[in-house]
Amino acid sequence: MKEFLLQKGYDEELQQFAHITEFAVKKNSSVQLNSLNEDCTNNIRIYYIIDGKYEWNIRDKEYILYPGDLIIIQPGHKFGGQKGVMDRGTLCWIYVELEKASIPENILFGNWSCLPKKELSAIGKILKLSSSPVISKVKEVERILFAIRHELFHQQIAYITRVNQLIDEMFILIARKLSLQNNTQRDFPKSFLTLEEELRKNLSNQWTVEDMAALVGLGTTAFTEKVKNYSGFSPLNYLITIRISEAMRLLRRNDLNITDIALDTGFYSSQHFSTTFKKLTGYTPSNFRKKNISNEKD
Amino acid sequence: MRKTNHKGKDCIITIELGTNAVRIFAFDLKGALIGFSKGTYPTFHPQPDYSEQDPEQLFITMLYVLKNFLTEKIHSENYTVVTICFSASMHSVLPIDINGVPFGNAITWADNRGKNEANALKNTALGKKIYNATGTPIHPMSPLIKITWLKNNDKVNFKKTFKFLSIKSYIIQQLTGKYVIDHSIASATGLFNIHNMDWDPDALAYAGITADKLPDLVTVFHSPGKLRKEYQTSLGLSAQVKILTGSSDGCLAALGAGVWSEGKATITIEDSGAMRVVGKKVMQDEKERFFNYVLTADYFVSGGPTNNGGVIFEWLARQFGDFKNAYDIETCMEELINDATKVAAGADGLLFLPYLLGERAPIWNANARGCFFGINIKHEQKHFVRAAIEGILYEIYSIGKTIEEHRHIKTLSVNGSFATIPFCSQLIADIFNKPVGVSKNINSVSLGAFLLSATEMGIYKNLDAAAKSVVLEETFTPNKLNHALYKKYFEIFERLSSKFAEEFEAIANLQQENR
Repeated sequence: MKEFLLQKGYDEELQQFAHITEFAVKKNSSVQLNSLNEDCTNNIRIYYIIDGKYEWNIRDKEYILYPGDLIIIQPGHKFGGQKGVMDRGTLCWIYVELEKASIPENILFGNWSCLPKKELSAIGKILKLSSSPVISKVKEVERILFAIRHELFHQQIAYITRVNQLIDEMFILIARKLSLQNNTQRDFPKSFLTLEEELRKNLSNQWTVEDMAALVGLGTTAFTEKVKNYSGFSPLNYLITIRISEAMRLLRRNDLNITDIALDTGFYSSQHFSTTFKKLTGYTPSNFRKKNISNEKD
Repeated sequence: MRKTNHKGKDCIITIELGTNAVRIFAFDLKGALIGFSKGTYPTFHPQPDYSEQDPEQLFITMLYVLKNFLTEKIHSENYTVVTICFSASMHSVLPIDINGVPFGNAITWADNRGKNEANALKNTALGKKIYNATGTPIHPMSPLIKITWLKNNDKVNFKKTFKFLSIKSYIIQQLTGKYVIDHSIASATGLFNIHNMDWDPDALAYAGITADKLPDLVTVFHSPGKLRKEYQTSLGLSAQVKILTGSSDGCLAALGAGVWSEGKATITIEDSGAMRVVGKKVMQDEKERFFNYVLTADYFVSGGPTNNGGVIFEWLARQFGDFKNAYDIETCMEELINDATKVAAGADGLLFLPYLLGERAPIWNANARGCFFGINIKHEQKHFVRAAIEGILYEIYSIGKTIEEHRHIKTLSVNGSFATIPFCSQLIADIFNKPVGVSKNINSVSLGAFLLSATEMGIYKNLDAAAKSVVLEETFTPNKLNHALYKKYFEIFERLSSKFAEEFEAIANLQQENR
């Protein structure tokens, strides 16, 4: 691919794409001092190595990158060359801006995306959860990047939609690869524990089975079956046990009101919370609190 | 309220609060299984040596599974629940405040944060005295050590702690309002004198607590009281249902395996494992290699635990299994076992030390690590698989050999998911050179809890009679030729396990440094 550099605010090719801050292919034939110092940005930065060998630091860990590697630098993550320089070789990158409000807790894409909110949030979660910023041997992404370039430079009919679709496609590919990388079928209990920890971290989130399955890297049917076999519960019922156990802990503290507890633990109303809680524990939340705080010596 | 049918469809429910799941079984009064259900809960490792569980999650999981189980299998079939009997993993600690509110998560048996505390006490005169009095080895698993750790490292909460509960005590308190701990679970705390059946003053002093900081001691047959009204309503159970405090998984596994007289021993291997004997005398051991727990005042359940049971084979399957065709780890393990059967006994000279998780009995060396020994150019993957299985069982045999210094064992009964794999049961028979029976009811813990409840109801005269009712289904007879061969390999296994002590320490230290 020929070299090019498109930057938001300078190049008219990007005028229609507020979310693309930079898109480039660079052939680096000489090493220059301070050409890649460590920094953090609010964008999500994606690099694809076409040829050469790169030595980078990502979040204070050293990586050696080879052709075919895809590197995803998340907002707020430190990234730079190990010696502050860009090594010799050819690489392609694209920076995508995220919804400001979503940083740093989540990764949420803007309205430009053609994907429904649910799927976007699942993709964002997988990115956030991934343990490694590198995916190896993803030739497929090269085709997508070339196609984006082609659309931008030729601007045929509906090219805006096509570019956005291609970016969507790239993130879908990344999410799928990451979720396979993070979860091997070999260790479902381990994946399940990671999922549990994630659920607990965001208990107020309205989790769907699709979200949960995506985090474990399985389709919903296989996921539901595996969870049922392993835990004895359907995914949503398992989630309820976590919600209620957290609620019980919070109810034992006297400083939180019940509506807040309901919302914090993911119930959409205190009514819904109350019914579910009573069905499971036999107590309404307020009775449970009374029973457990005032006189334990019955 | 439900109508009770007095025409004899009575049933006993057993609830086992296990290491990673709650298992609920229902038996009719003759011991026939009506049904079972389970629900898992996770173990969290916030730091490398930590192992914790969320007490509320345990409780709610138990309630949820129980409720569904009652609705689907018990009420709908017009059974009347007469007794609910509890069993639980040993060694857990859950500190609570004056209002009964836990300070964070429960610390489980697998937690090793008290390493330094254990090392400081082990092999001292006081340590020996406490071991002899309590029957629990001085080890980070022991609540004595855990509470000592809390005293040294979490002073604020330690001072504020109203009581140090076990997980089971907490669950029973939720259901009935009473703080109780049965003799079995108490006898695994390292704080309980198994000779006079009361808290041990030396151990309490060492942990820096008084007896009122612990739940009330009760027998395994004790009923702490009625279910709270709210649970009667939500579960559809009457106030007459008897709640039995019950015992520990270890003691009940021995009872449920029918091992209740001299000459018998039971081997349980799930993820971890243990070999146990039951007797009227404490098994005193100079080298402090055994535990001695009590079920009732008349009987001691003695033996040794291993960290490295089925969990090691699962590890092997995860690394070397063929996941292309197999859908999950279970299928994969089955295929590996098929491979292992194609190799002759002794794995053609390949030996495996299974100490991936450090080891408890009999070497009690937290630094021990795994090792394949004797690899030659002809060994293939299947040899490694067979050697791994044999190594896990040699470890059990090394516990058995030390037990046999004290007791004469004629027959074995095995239970637990790993030991009851037929290939493994046969190997155990060959290695020990003793006939091996497999319990008809694979879940010996639940069967033990049933036998306990039935004895309490007077269905059996006593626990001896109850244990005799256990039918061992299949018997594996030892193959003499294989035994002779295994004996030779075992000698090398045993020598390596002790000879490597220095190297184990060196490599464990390096692993610690470079983590």
